[in-house]
Amino acid sequence: MNSFVRLQGLTKRYNDATALEDVNLEVKRSEVITVIGPNGSGKTTLLRMMAFLDKPTEGEIYFDGGKVDDNNRNHLRTKCTMVFQKTALFDATVYNNIAYGLRMRKRSKGEIKERILEILELVRLEGYEKRQTKKLSGGEQQRVSLARALVLNTELLLLDEPTANLDPRNATIIEEAITRVNREYDTTVVATTHNMFQAEDTTERVALLLNGRIAEIGTASEIFRNASKNLASFARLENVFSGISKTRKDGTSLIEINDNLWIEAASRKEGKATILVRPEDVIVSRKTVNSSARNVLAGKIVGISDMGSTVKLNVDVGKPFVAQITKRSFSEMRLNLNSEVFLTFKASSVYMV
Amino acid sequence: MKRMGAESMWEILEGVGKVILLFGNPVVLETTFRSIVVSGTATLLSALLGIPLGVLIGFKDFAGKRFVKTIFNALLGVPTVALGLILYLAFSHSGFLGFLDLLYTPVGIMIGQAILIVPIMISLVIHAVESVDPDVMDLARTLGASETEASFAVLRESTAGVTLAFISCFNRAIAELGVAVSVGGNIRGWTRMLTTTIALEARTGEIEYSIAMAAILLLIVFAVTLVINLIQGRRL
Amino acid sequence: MERKTWVWTTSLLLVVITSMAGTAYYAATSTREKLVISTTTSLYDTHLLDVIEDQFEMEHPVDLQFRSAGTGLAILHAQNGDADMILVHDPSRERAFLEDGHGVCRKIIAYNFFAIVGPEADPAEINGKLPPQALLEIVEAGRVGQAKWVSRGDDSGTHTKERDLWFDVGLNWTELREEEWYIEAGAGMGATLQITEQFFAYTLADMGTYLKYSKNNIITLKELATQGEELLNVYSVITVNNCTHPNANFDGAISFIEFLISERGQQIIKDYGKSTYNQSLFYPAVAFLKENTEPATVQWIKSHAFFDGYECPPEYQNNHPELYS
Repeated sequence: MNSFVRLQGLTKRYNDATALEDVNLEVKRSEVITVIGPNGSGKTTLLRMMAFLDKPTEGEIYFDGGKVDDNNRNHLRTKCTMVFQKTALFDATVYNNIAYGLRMRKRSKGEIKERILEILELVRLEGYEKRQTKKLSGGEQQRVSLARALVLNTELLLLDEPTANLDPRNATIIEEAITRVNREYDTTVVATTHNMFQAEDTTERVALLLNGRIAEIGTASEIFRNASKNLASFARLENVFSGISKTRKDGTSLIEINDNLWIEAASRKEGKATILVRPEDVIVSRKTVNSSARNVLAGKIVGISDMGSTVKLNVDVGKPFVAQITKRSFSEMRLNLNSEVFLTFKASSVYMV
Repeated sequence: MKRMGAESMWEILEGVGKVILLFGNPVVLETTFRSIVVSGTATLLSALLGIPLGVLIGFKDFAGKRFVKTIFNALLGVPTVALGLILYLAFSHSGFLGFLDLLYTPVGIMIGQAILIVPIMISLVIHAVESVDPDVMDLARTLGASETEASFAVLRESTAGVTLAFISCFNRAIAELGVAVSVGGNIRGWTRMLTTTIALEARTGEIEYSIAMAAILLLIVFAVTLVINLIQGRRL
Repeated sequence: MERKTWVWTTSLLLVVITSMAGTAYYAATSTREKLVISTTTSLYDTHLLDVIEDQFEMEHPVDLQFRSAGTGLAILHAQNGDADMILVHDPSRERAFLEDGHGVCRKIIAYNFFAIVGPEADPAEINGKLPPQALLEIVEAGRVGQAKWVSRGDDSGTHTKERDLWFDVGLNWTELREEEWYIEAGAGMGATLQITEQFFAYTLADMGTYLKYSKNNIITLKELATQGEELLNVYSVITVNNCTHPNANFDGAISFIEFLISERGQQIIKDYGKSTYNQSLFYPAVAFLKENTEPATVQWIKSHAFFDGYECPPEYQNNHPELYS
C-alpha cells in the first residue's frame, strides 16, 4: 500500500491538557480524507502537526516514506500547505496575498502572474487582483485563502473546516475547487469538519476524531452505521438526534425523538435510528411558511454566533437545534435572543443511519 | 494681555497670514530646515534602536514583559525640561560625556531628542507588532516561509503601526522645547530651532512673529503626517 | 507591491541622505573657532547682542554663540566650563565668580537704570518719588490692600537687585514674601510684566524688556520711579579663567572684550534702540569711567559695581592691564 503520510502513535500535550492521544493514521497518495469530530476533539492540532507547524510531544510522522525530524521539518513544510479555519490574511491586495508562497519559492514574476490569474479563475475571483483583502466579504476572503494554498500546487493540502460558516454559494465554489485540484493534480487532501454531511458529500474515507483519539476510520456510511457505539460523543455534533423510527405507507418514516418532537425523513427505517440535519438546510422564519416541506418546528432562539457571512442560531425546539442562515436574512428578520421562530426543512434533508 | 476674545482671534489670523511672507526670510528658512533635519535625524536614530528593540519585545514572551512595557509607557511622559536638564549635566564639560563636545551643537540636540523619543518608538512598535493577527506568522510558515521570512511578514503587517510610530516621534521631536533649549542653548544661527524661536519671540514680546513660527511648525507637522499617510496608501 | 516598495525605498533613502548630509554639515561647521558667551535673558532679549555679534563676526573669524539664561544659571554654566565668558549684571555674584577662580579680566561695558513700573492709576502714589520712598509707599499700600507687588522670584540679576533694594530700605525680603500683597512670579521679565499688568501691581523692570512690551501694546504699565542711584544696573563681561578651565577660548574672549570697549563697540551700545524707542536702552560705560565725565554717576557705579576700588582687582587682570588703562 502506498502510504503518503503516516502518523504513528502521535500524542500532543499542551501543559496539562492532552489534545491528541496515540493517533495512528495512514493517508494514501491522492486521496481525500476527512477528519470529522466535534469542536475541541483535536482536529486542528492534528492538521497543524501534519503541516509541520507544531511538533508532536510523542510519536512519529512519516512523509513520503521518510521520517520527519528537526532537520527536514522546515524543508518539508514547503511540500504541504494548510488553510486555517479562521481566515488569516496579509493586509495587502488579493494578488500579493496569493503571490506570497510563490515568491517564497523564488518563482519568476511571469510564472507568478500566470498562475495567479489561473487560480483566481478556479475560485471565481477573476478581476479581484488589485482589491484589498480586508475589504472583501467573509466568503471571498476564504476563497482567497484557498487560492493562496492551491496556487502552490503542493503534494499535500490540509484544510481546516474549509466551508464552515460559509453560505452555500461560497461553500460550493470551495468544494468544487478542492475536488478539481484533487482530480487534476492528484493532490492529497486532508480536511476537517464538524459537519457530517460535508464528510458524506466530498470524501472517500472519513476518520472520526473524538476526544483526541481516532474512534473510527472508514467510509461515511460505515461510520454512521457504528454511530451508536460513539453516540454520547457523537451527540456533540450539530443536529444529531436519536429516536425510534416508524415507516409509513408513503415510504417515509416518522422518528420520535421525544414526546413532543417528531421528525419526518424521506428514507425508510424501522426501530432505533440516528438522524442528522444540516444546519444550512433549515429555513428560519418568524411565521410559518407555506411550503411542501414536511418538518416545521417551533422554538426560541437561545444562542446566536456570528460566523462571518453567516449566522448560526441555536434554537430550543425541545432539543437544541442548530440553523445556519445568511447574515442578510438574519438582519432582515431582526432576530434576537428569545425571538420565537419556526424551523422548516424537507423530509429529504433528514439523513438517517 | 488685556485684549481677549475676538481681537486676539484676529491677532492669530493675522499671524497665520504672515507665515506666507515669512517664507521669503532666509533666517526663517534656515531655522525651519534645521528643525526638520535635526528632528528627522533624531527620529531615524530612535528608529535604529527602537525598531529592533520594539520588535524583539513585541515578538518574545518573557517574564517581566509587562513590567518592561510599563516602564517604556511611563517614559513617554518624561517632561522635556527634566530630560533637557539631565542631558545638560551629562553633556556639560564638567559632565561625564563632556569630552564628546556635544553641548550647544545641533548634533547634541539630535541625540537628546532621539533619547526623548526612543521610548515612544519602542512602545508604539511593540504595540504595532502585537496588534498583528497572531495567525500571520503561521500563515507565512505554511506558505513556505522560513522562520526569519515569517518574522518579516509579521513586520510588514505592522507597517501601519510602525509608520504611526515614526510620525508620532517626529512630531514630538520637532515640537519639543526642553532639550532644544538646555542642550542646544538657542544660539542664533547655530542651534536655534522653531520651538526655541517661538519661546524666545514670545518672551521678548514679538507675539505675532511667534505665532507665525508656530504656524510653520504646525504646517510641517501636518505636511509630514499627510505625506506619509499618502505613501502608506490611505490605509491608516 | 513593486511600486509601493519602490516608493518606500526612495523616500527612505531620501530621508537618510538628507539627514546624513545635515548631520555632516553641522558636524563640519562646528569646527569653526567658537566663543560661547553665557548671558542673562533680560540683556539677550533686547537683541542688542545680535547686532554686536553681526559686527564682530564680520571682522573676526570667530563664531560668537550667545546662550541666555537667568544670571544664576548663566554663571553656573560658565562654572561648569560650558562657556568662554559671561556677560551679566550682578556685581556680588561676579565678585564671587572671580574669587572662586572661575573668572578673570572683568570689564564694565555698559549701564542703565531699572524702573519701578505700575498701573497708571498708581494707587500707592509713587510717581516721581525716589526709589526708597516709592518702595515704602508700596509696602504701606500693600498692607492695607491697596496695592500689590510682583517679584521675578527666579533668582535672576533683576531679582537680586530687587532683594538689595528691600534690604536698603530696612526690609527683609524673606519676610515680605510671606505677605499677601507680595506675588512671586518665578518667571522671566516679560512674563512678570504681564502678570503685573493683570494684577494692576508694581514691579521692578529692566528698561529693555519694559520698552519692548510697551511698544508692542502688551502692557500699559507706566514708569513711575526711574531716578536714583539705587536703580543703577551695571553690565560687565568676565572671561572664564583658562587656568581652571583649560578648554576656555581665552584669546577669543579677550579680543571680544577689546571690541566691546573699543569706540565702535561702545557706539553700537549707545545707538541701540534709539530709532525704535527714541531713547537709548544702554549707556556705554568705558569712556565715561576713564574720563570721569559725569562724576556723580561714576561715583554711583564705583560704589555699586567696583570691588575694593577696582573695576577688576589687579590679581584678576591676568597680564592684560591694557584693558584697564
